[in-house]
Amino acid sequence: MTVLIFLLRRAGWHHVHGATARDPTGRGWLFAGNSQSGKSTTAALLASRGWAVGTDDVAFLVQTDRGVEAVAQRATIALRPEGFALLGLAGGTPARGGQKTAFFPEELGGAWAERIAPQILVLPRVSGDVTRAEPIRPREALAELVRWSGWVLLEPALAQEHLDLLNALARQVRSYRLTLGPDLFERRDLFTELIP
Amino acid sequence: MRLTALEGEGVALHLGTRRYYSVSESGLDLLDALTAPRTLEQLVAVLTSKYEVTVAQATDSAREFVEHGVRTGVLVVEEVP
Repeated sequence: MTVLIFLLRRAGWHHVHGATARDPTGRGWLFAGNSQSGKSTTAALLASRGWAVGTDDVAFLVQTDRGVEAVAQRATIALRPEGFALLGLAGGTPARGGQKTAFFPEELGGAWAERIAPQILVLPRVSGDVTRAEPIRPREALAELVRWSGWVLLEPALAQEHLDLLNALARQVRSYRLTLGPDLFERRDLFTELIP
Repeated sequence: MRLTALEGEGVALHLGTRRYYSVSESGLDLLDALTAPRTLEQLVAVLTSKYEVTVAQATDSAREFVEHGVRTGVLVVEEVP
């Protein structure tokens, strides 16, 4: 993966640690965060509700004529046992030495979205509380995007291009901190209710 | 150092330490000026030329900014011969 990120960066594709999805109305969503933030469980949940999901972990941002787009690495959504249980799933393929169970979005009832134009940036975190969304300003979103695009701090020749891309993305999207609670699994349209 | 501005504030990347900082608009102005060596007086002039502040206020702000930059390894202070 490191080599892939290194090479694609030279083509103007800059890595972000995030999940991507397209909702049934066609809006692009980017969920940025670390491996404990609930991205994979969210991606699987959205796929099971008919959304198109690109990736649960690795995306590449690229500037196009239409704005910043996020291109997904084609890979399975890898769920930890807790996420697998919460979703009430069966089947799947053992992954990461059996520690996770993996699904392609199509296996969950969704589709694969090779690329999306993000309109909504979500910074998720898992909580036992009620699911809620808090809007944040673009400048705060920019700082978060830098946080989840660690490669921006590497290779001086490419850092400014990467940083400018994150700035353009922060301007392009509406951004939210999203606290993920158990009610997410009970209310089918909670995401779009909280972030209309 | 790499800078980008948004809504009057910004983010500064220091590639040497691999750290990033959220900075104010005036902080961005100072960092922009510091792409080349500057004296404290020159930094004060950057602030007084753009903001409605006294020289004393600008000196305090610039000094505090530089001291923070030195503590975090982003800036280096040298004596002017």
